[in-house]
Amino acid sequence: MRPIFDFLEQDTRLASLLRVLLSAICVLVLWQVVSLFVTNRLLLVPPADVAVALFHEIQNGDLWTNAVATVTAVVSSFLVSVAIGIVIGLALASSRLLSLTGGPVLSALNSVPIIALAPLFVAWLGLGFASKFVLVLMVAVFPVVVTTEAGLRAADKPLIEAARSFNATKLQIFTTVTFPYALPFIVSGVRVAWARALVGIVVAEFFGSFAGFGFAILSASQTFDTARVLGYVFVLGAMGLIGSVSFAALERHLAPWRQE
Amino acid sequence: MTALLRVDNVDKIFSRRGKTAVEALRGINFSIEEGEFVSIVGASGSGKSTLLRIIDGLLEPTKGAVFVDDARVEKPGRDRAMVFQQDSLLPWKTVIENVAYGLTLAKSPWPQASKVAERFVAMTGLAGFESHYPHQLSGGMRQRVNVARALAVDPRILLLDEPFAALDAQTREIMQTELLKIWQESRKTVLLITHQIDEAVFLSDRVIIFSARPGTVREEIKIDLPRPRDLELKRTPEFVGLVDHIWKLIEAEVRLGVTASEG
Repeated sequence: MRPIFDFLEQDTRLASLLRVLLSAICVLVLWQVVSLFVTNRLLLVPPADVAVALFHEIQNGDLWTNAVATVTAVVSSFLVSVAIGIVIGLALASSRLLSLTGGPVLSALNSVPIIALAPLFVAWLGLGFASKFVLVLMVAVFPVVVTTEAGLRAADKPLIEAARSFNATKLQIFTTVTFPYALPFIVSGVRVAWARALVGIVVAEFFGSFAGFGFAILSASQTFDTARVLGYVFVLGAMGLIGSVSFAALERHLAPWRQE
Repeated sequence: MTALLRVDNVDKIFSRRGKTAVEALRGINFSIEEGEFVSIVGASGSGKSTLLRIIDGLLEPTKGAVFVDDARVEKPGRDRAMVFQQDSLLPWKTVIENVAYGLTLAKSPWPQASKVAERFVAMTGLAGFESHYPHQLSGGMRQRVNVARALAVDPRILLLDEPFAALDAQTREIMQTELLKIWQESRKTVLLITHQIDEAVFLSDRVIIFSARPGTVREEIKIDLPRPRDLELKRTPEFVGLVDHIWKLIEAEVRLGVTASEG
């Protein structure tokens, strides 16, 4: 057994992939075993049933229809919220007055569970794309604002002083010191924003839509089709995981000096 | 012979609203000739780093002025370049990009900038490390990059702010001899700030001793030790005598600083 353990503990891509696979297999096996004892299929369905339900959704095209609705809304809204978040963060970091006056409003908004306003957004903007877009925007924008401002303010004083000593202009200090320094901070905010955006889109689709993963989950649970519910949850989980892993990789790529 | 750098009656008072003003420097007067190597030593709190920043143009004096070739210093300029303490290198840039940083800020196109940078990378013993990042280098190597970056903009005066303070004793000694070699090669005018008396004596033509709080020039000592110098010099009685003399001048203040920071 020892050589296998040694191999799995290695710091290589293959080993980490195998580790992920191994833990996924463990979860699936455990799930399958538990579902042998919990036989009420309303409460728990075995993973094999979930896979079948998901396959069925692919075959009849529902998965595709729902994916198009959800992905277009969540991705477009996510991109816009990252852009807006960076712009607001830049504005807050560049003006002390703005930060002091606007900051409390933003943190108040940030602490309100905006998700709870979903029914209101649907009432204002109707069923469909617009209400989804705005709700996702509202939940995803704040982490980007906060990390952008914090990252820009965190820039190392000695680095700025060195730039000034070499006669750098304000713009050059921003482009060569402050912004590169803030970039990994911003990406970590973007990572949080993506996770929040997924929550936002599902809730928005619960309340007001005729297509999308949230809509599919709601309708499946109303017909007590637990396998279909879990199938869509699995797809959402995969989207979250892919985003999280790739943004974390981007963060490491942008700031390799922080690892050591 | 007229002085290249002239510090004329400089006072510096830091006043912040709601806090008592701190007088950092009072009536500083001295000048440095072209090609000279001058050090300033003093206890911590003697305002020597503040003075260096005033000379570089990063800070304004409260009173008095600094002149380079009779032109008043108002902001950082290409005739002066500063070597900072540790960690003023851009962590996301490679060695060669860091060395070329001053040149690229001055809008020098990359082919030229990198060519110049390469020369100073070689001069500071960094050849082979051009594409390393600062976090992959030792403290001593990082300070070589720092020195090379300052030299690359071809300043007339090199300002060094305790450049070896964060290094261990052995590395520091090596870097001192390297700095002497570089100085002899480049014939720059150098002003070094340090709290290491032996470092100041070993490197300099002249040592200026500062008193603490507010910083004033207490004494100037000419170091007439022969050049080129090597580490053997540090064991000669003349050298030890000079170090001893300077130590006695600032001993009381250093002790005061130690008890103040402990209390």
